[in-house]
Amino acid sequence: MKIMRVLVINLLLFFLLSVAGSAYAGAPTDQMRQTVDKVIDILKNKELKKPANERKRRAEIRSAVSERFDFADMAKRSLGIYWRQRTPEERKEFVPLYSDLLERTYVKKIEGYTDEKIAYTGEKINDSHAVVDTKVITSKNQEIPIQYRMLNEDGKWMVYDVSIEGVSLINNYRNQFSNIIHQKSYEELVKKLKSKEQESGK
Amino acid sequence: MKIDKELAVGVFLLIGIFSLIYISVKLGKLEVLGNEGYTLYASFENAGGLKSGANVEIAGVKIGKVDGVKLNNYQALVGLTIARNVKIQDDAIASIKTEGLLGEKYLEITPGASDKLLRNGGTIRETESAVDIQELIAKYAFGKV
Repeated sequence: MKIMRVLVINLLLFFLLSVAGSAYAGAPTDQMRQTVDKVIDILKNKELKKPANERKRRAEIRSAVSERFDFADMAKRSLGIYWRQRTPEERKEFVPLYSDLLERTYVKKIEGYTDEKIAYTGEKINDSHAVVDTKVITSKNQEIPIQYRMLNEDGKWMVYDVSIEGVSLINNYRNQFSNIIHQKSYEELVKKLKSKEQESGK
Repeated sequence: MKIDKELAVGVFLLIGIFSLIYISVKLGKLEVLGNEGYTLYASFENAGGLKSGANVEIAGVKIGKVDGVKLNNYQALVGLTIARNVKIQDDAIASIKTEGLLGEKYLEITPGASDKLLRNGGTIRETESAVDIQELIAKYAFGKV
């Protein structure tokens, strides 16, 4: 009967949609692609490429990246066990220092973009966590695997770690921060980050 | 006299056996971790030859061992036994590393910032697979065909 048919179709649809494994590019990949495309547009923009517009260009890149990268979460994960010992004021101070560190480290590399292709090779979703696999294909035909680890924050998929060639960014900073804090102190780490910021003339 | 001799041999034999057991436990890998640990899992894209019995370390200190490595969903699923008094946060990162440049593989865990701790049967979500240095060098030194 009609009711049966409606029920069966609904059930079928339900099952089809819930088998959304890595065969489907879901929300995480789509949102990641949006951000990557946005940044590439900024990089390709002839006006913004001019040296005079460097500040503006970087501000736009930062703005686009901040929409997708959860710097506060990344700062927390990078400090690891040392995060829990920090007061709310110290945490508030640390997050922008960390974001600046990342920007200083990576913005020039991003600006070195010369029409590389980005391929989205896979996605795995597990509850509120997702992993988006991509490849940057260089002009020499080298394939650099870049993996984004994302967290669903109210429907918005935000990046909390990036792995390049299988090496985690968070783990990299976690080890370095841990060394500095253990050998010197947290205050020394903050001093170091602040002085680097001043050196770069921000 | 006969009884004394037999007794002496028996006693020496027992002393010998207990000495052997003592040395085995003290020097060998036969630690009494067995029931005093809890189980965690971690999934890797490349286990790189990580073997059962390999060390699990935090800050260079052994805090557990690898129970086994299985293929699950085309990923390497590694089972670990962690010492009961060692707490692991849910944002800890497990990496497969090599002892020296050519040594055996072991698992290193860097502790995280999260308040949530993993319990028996839990999974370490953040993992770094074994890095094949030779492959990387070849890839970037020689380029692709």
